[in-house]
Amino acid sequence: MRLNPRKDFMADAMSRLIDTENREVSVAALNDPDLYELELEQIFAKAWLMIGHETEIPNVGDYVVRLMGEDQVIVSRAADSEVHVSLNVCPHRAMHVCLADSGNARVHKCIYHGWAFRPDGSFIGAPVEKEQMHGNIKTKEQLGLKKARVELFGGLIFATWNHEGPSLDEWLGDMKFYYEMLFDRTENGLEVLGPPQRLTIDANWKTAGEQSACDGFHTLTLHGSVIDIGAMGGESDTEHESAPAMYGINLSGNGHSLRCIPADTSWSLAHGKGDLTPDERLEAFPPPGITKELLPELKKKMSAEQLHVLAKAPPVVGGMFPNMNILFIYSPLRDGTLGSALVLHTIMPKGPHQFEWTTYYFAEKGTPENVKVMMRAAATHGTGTSGIIEQDDSDTWPHMTESAKGVIGRTETLKYQAILGENRPADWPDKAKVYEGFGKDDAQWEWWLAYNRLMTADS
Amino acid sequence: MTVTTATINYTREDQRRDEISYGSPVYNSIMTFLIKEARLLDHRDLKAWGEMLAEDLEYKCPVRMTRRVQQFDEEFGTMGHFDDDHDSMMVRIVRLTTTNNAWSEDPASRVRRFITNVSVWETDEPDEYEVSSYLFLTRNRAEAKDYKQLSAERNDRLRMTKDGFKIVKRSILLDQVVLGMPNLAIFL
Repeated sequence: MRLNPRKDFMADAMSRLIDTENREVSVAALNDPDLYELELEQIFAKAWLMIGHETEIPNVGDYVVRLMGEDQVIVSRAADSEVHVSLNVCPHRAMHVCLADSGNARVHKCIYHGWAFRPDGSFIGAPVEKEQMHGNIKTKEQLGLKKARVELFGGLIFATWNHEGPSLDEWLGDMKFYYEMLFDRTENGLEVLGPPQRLTIDANWKTAGEQSACDGFHTLTLHGSVIDIGAMGGESDTEHESAPAMYGINLSGNGHSLRCIPADTSWSLAHGKGDLTPDERLEAFPPPGITKELLPELKKKMSAEQLHVLAKAPPVVGGMFPNMNILFIYSPLRDGTLGSALVLHTIMPKGPHQFEWTTYYFAEKGTPENVKVMMRAAATHGTGTSGIIEQDDSDTWPHMTESAKGVIGRTETLKYQAILGENRPADWPDKAKVYEGFGKDDAQWEWWLAYNRLMTADS
Repeated sequence: MTVTTATINYTREDQRRDEISYGSPVYNSIMTFLIKEARLLDHRDLKAWGEMLAEDLEYKCPVRMTRRVQQFDEEFGTMGHFDDDHDSMMVRIVRLTTTNNAWSEDPASRVRRFITNVSVWETDEPDEYEVSSYLFLTRNRAEAKDYKQLSAERNDRLRMTKDGFKIVKRSILLDQVVLGMPNLAIFL
């Protein structure tokens, strides 16, 4: 119990950290132990967090151990074949019940005193029960592992400790319409291409969190090397004006965001100029991750409105508030064809100055096996630990965090003043905030507004 | 998971062929090669290092998991931190050496690769050898006082050619499940 609730103390601080009039955030937000503790309570214990995919645990008893904030949870498929998420803390004496990070177990028995739990978290019993090891003050029903609330979306496992809060549908709001085009668009759905990469970045989690909300400008400089070697289109001498994928449509809702790249841009990068209609292009050049064989499934599962978006400008990168980063991009495969890399990251805080960057690779289940193997290699080459794109990002975020340690540095601000403004093309669905044009700061600012709302929320 | 392509692309211990003893000419030439390779990488002579890679290269570094001890030999997953062939490795080298915008290594890390515990086995191919080595790597960057460290076992397949040894396969088996360094913009 805190004698002086941090939240009350911090409510006033938030108004000083975020300047809504000028669209600035104090650099101090990147290095503040009190703020961090509040984030764990107000964001990581309240938000819907993506912690894995159901194809990681296909069989009854399969489990993986994941993080929700700094809390370890057991994500397991129980006897009811459903996915359950339980705190990996023994209710007896706080020992971790599960010591491996993955495996299969019908019973999770704590190695300390032997209390045993089912994959759904329920308490089986303690040894020498007749000697009252767990007493009779609490019932067995009260002695299970603490359960998180779970929802699946496109096989992605979302969990939250907020049992009374919004449903996942409400949490995603209008953006779900767009996320379906990435995660829930075929009959058989996505599958993971193996257990995730995990690494540690010495930076505040929000540096990666806010960048996920469609930071477009950094592509031109931080990822300049990728433009230089010709992997992003445009001419190297005029890259700032002509990197074609800089023009697109950003979407934002509830702090979530996606960036759509016009299909004719992607098409002309890959095939030169053409004059196909959107429908012809969808046939000839399906969105990332959809092979021609999967196109009928896509057309069956998606609404006419969604197919229109996919043909015009499919979503390819972005994030999901608070801590997910999305890249569903075209990528050359090692057989010389143009394929895709389907990548999700989560950003799990490990203190004010550190987070774990977890990387999952996906393919549609209906993808030929040899293509899956090439997609995995392409994703590994571009993103994650050694990715030629993302290794530059992981270099940047620690510097920003370091800047916040200086008493003068922390008086500076992060500025989100490149304003495009809402700007919906006439034929675009009336869903979420829509910003058509050269990618600007609007969606990132919306990320901070969502952050502010959660940090100052009463419950 | 239906993707089952093995990430571990070397011979199991109990199926290895004859081991070549420490101090023999073949052993010495391989040790000399590995020390030279580490020196080139430490000195950031990536183009010269690239010459040491065979055209049919498989360069992999599977992710590791923590399993119960009964599954200790099943700790490596199908996903990797590296999953490269010769072409993709050349793209990495071109990016790091010819653009002026490869910021993950600009300024460069100061890296030392310590190679020990080298074992060499014959294979079915007369000019090819399987080589296991231990890698201890320290990485320092900018004004950091401390080092990012990494330890691993590398399982290689080397081929003797008219231009010297070439690396045909490398599987890097890390000891960390969660890497302590923010990227692998360096080669192992």
